[in-house]
Amino acid sequence: MSDNDAEPLCCCEYYDKDKNQSHILACCCFCEDLDEGFESLITCNGFPRYRCLRFMATFQDRLRIPWRGGAKLVAVDSILPLIILPIIFIIAAQSLWWTIFSFSTITVFLLYIFQVLIRITPRTKFFFVWTITSIVLLYIIFEFVVIPLLEILLEENIALSILIASFLFCLYTLKMRASRFHKSTDDSEMFSLPGTRFHNCSICQTTVPDKDHHCVWYDCCISRQNQCLFMMSLLFAAAALLYSSNLTLTSVCHPFKLYETILLPDDCSEVYQEFELGISFVSAIYSIILAVIILIILMQQVLLVSIGLTKKEWNKLPFSSKCFLGLTNRKYHSKGFFRNWSRILCWTEPKYVSINHT
Amino acid sequence: MIILCFSSKFKNAGLIIIVSAIIIGIYFPSRHARHYSCVKNENVLDSLYYEQKMAHHNLKNCNYEDVVFMPGNDISIEDVSDEKIYLKPLPGGEYLPTQCSPLLKSAIIVPYRDRPKQLKTFLNYMHHFLQKQKLHYRIFIVDQKNENLFNRAKLLNIGAKLAMKYGFPCLVLHDIDLIPLNYANIYACSNTPRHMSSSLDTFRYNLPYLTIFGGAVAILSEQFKTINGMSNLFEGWGGEDDDLYKRLIEHGLIPCRFCPSISKYTMLLHKKNRKTSESRFNLLKKSTQRSKFDGLNTLNDNFTIEVESLFTHIIVS
Repeated sequence: MSDNDAEPLCCCEYYDKDKNQSHILACCCFCEDLDEGFESLITCNGFPRYRCLRFMATFQDRLRIPWRGGAKLVAVDSILPLIILPIIFIIAAQSLWWTIFSFSTITVFLLYIFQVLIRITPRTKFFFVWTITSIVLLYIIFEFVVIPLLEILLEENIALSILIASFLFCLYTLKMRASRFHKSTDDSEMFSLPGTRFHNCSICQTTVPDKDHHCVWYDCCISRQNQCLFMMSLLFAAAALLYSSNLTLTSVCHPFKLYETILLPDDCSEVYQEFELGISFVSAIYSIILAVIILIILMQQVLLVSIGLTKKEWNKLPFSSKCFLGLTNRKYHSKGFFRNWSRILCWTEPKYVSINHT
Repeated sequence: MIILCFSSKFKNAGLIIIVSAIIIGIYFPSRHARHYSCVKNENVLDSLYYEQKMAHHNLKNCNYEDVVFMPGNDISIEDVSDEKIYLKPLPGGEYLPTQCSPLLKSAIIVPYRDRPKQLKTFLNYMHHFLQKQKLHYRIFIVDQKNENLFNRAKLLNIGAKLAMKYGFPCLVLHDIDLIPLNYANIYACSNTPRHMSSSLDTFRYNLPYLTIFGGAVAILSEQFKTINGMSNLFEGWGGEDDDLYKRLIEHGLIPCRFCPSISKYTMLLHKKNRKTSESRFNLLKKSTQRSKFDGLNTLNDNFTIEVESLFTHIIVS
């Protein structure tokens, strides 16, 4: 490609898979495989499989967004959440039964697509984009549907925004630390540090010291270097979700005073009469479901750190010892409750001794 | 090089301006519920308008301090629909305290159409509530018995006109679905018009915007006459209360409010029937030009009065 670099690309131009300069607007212009394929379909010869595959490859190649320095390729699986989530929200806002139906469908769909994507394209951004889309969608609904109901005070809105900003900061720092300490497997260097176990992550293809697990929703590995940030981000996310759902539900439903300034909803029977109320209600329910899942994960993390197990080791435990919270098992890498926590909370940067592996 | 540096700085400045514009747009105070200034609880009694006492009573004047400052003034929402104990009022729903001579005299005017269940709850609750406040009051239910869109403001005008004819110096314009939750929220007029329902549970006990003047308001008859009442043109839901606010401001009457602790209200649950009026925004724009020719002085008298045991029933056809 370097020999083509004579002229800089405009934001809508790109080099396609055959290394020819192309333009976004030409995306529907000419596709040999589709033309030929249809010709053979019309002449009753069926759509040849190789044509189909090549058409898919061309389709994938032409799916681009304008970007500085040339249009960027976007994977189909990573734009799926951008389409699915808003549609699901709109459908769910119609009635209670649609809400139940769409949320159970989405659960089944996610479980299914997890199996498929991890097998086909392990490095998929689908789940990370899902996370980001959820945050953006919930925030947009809150700021532009719930706030205009004029029932939420400015300081309540600011408090929520601070929670969200803290979560995003944790997430960003977590990913930064992950990319700093988790080295690519194809680096010729090998590292060692006494007391550190190195794992190769098959999903993000990095060498991870003291790996806990790979989090598809954050699209990175969680290790001892960012586990603290991981738990903080979970805490902030759960707090933001619960707070926003409380604000939303007390706005769209009939609230009652629990104590002083704490309100809880008590009658939500009228939310589906208007679309704005319906979609706010649905976003609140989605937030609550997410918050519950996040809190469960957070509690599991707290437990695992306390007893000095990694997520991977936990998953391998037999069911019987899971029932005893893993306390009955021998834990080879546990150093006692306080040491376990202190090595997570430690912010010092580990110094790995590099071994030239030739 | 300098130009490059400058342009990148300029770009940053542009970015900063855009981001701050978005932040200001999102967190703009008027997009949120508002805090408001209110009459302090200890000044509530001073702010009220007292009737000049006629001397022919042998009773001593009523003392309202214990009404406002009694501990345990809050009423919980669960108790609202309970059967309340109250003295039987005079026919037409009028009541005079028997143990003392009242200094406060109010007409409670309630626009109404076809909600018998809420009416029952309201009457049962309000007679008890108002008698506890030792007021001289009368409840007027103004009932729209035609197929037109609900015209709340017109009904209030009709009720107000009648109440003034009966000699009430103070009008409380009240929605049927609102229930006050604190005995200290005294149902009489302040010297300036007062927005009473400023802490409503369906609004999360917050005030949606500062110029709101609907739900339950108290205004002196003289003041209501000065502003020529409310507009008769608002049909369907919304707008008429904002129009009333504009009329008040036009005549230099700045409304007041009691503090959230005593101005708590609950809304009786009902299915929303908000057939919003399409013309309300246009009507609101020309609010001030119209106030002289649209209001109490352009009201027709097509109503009948029925005296019931608990209220005066004004049927508008």
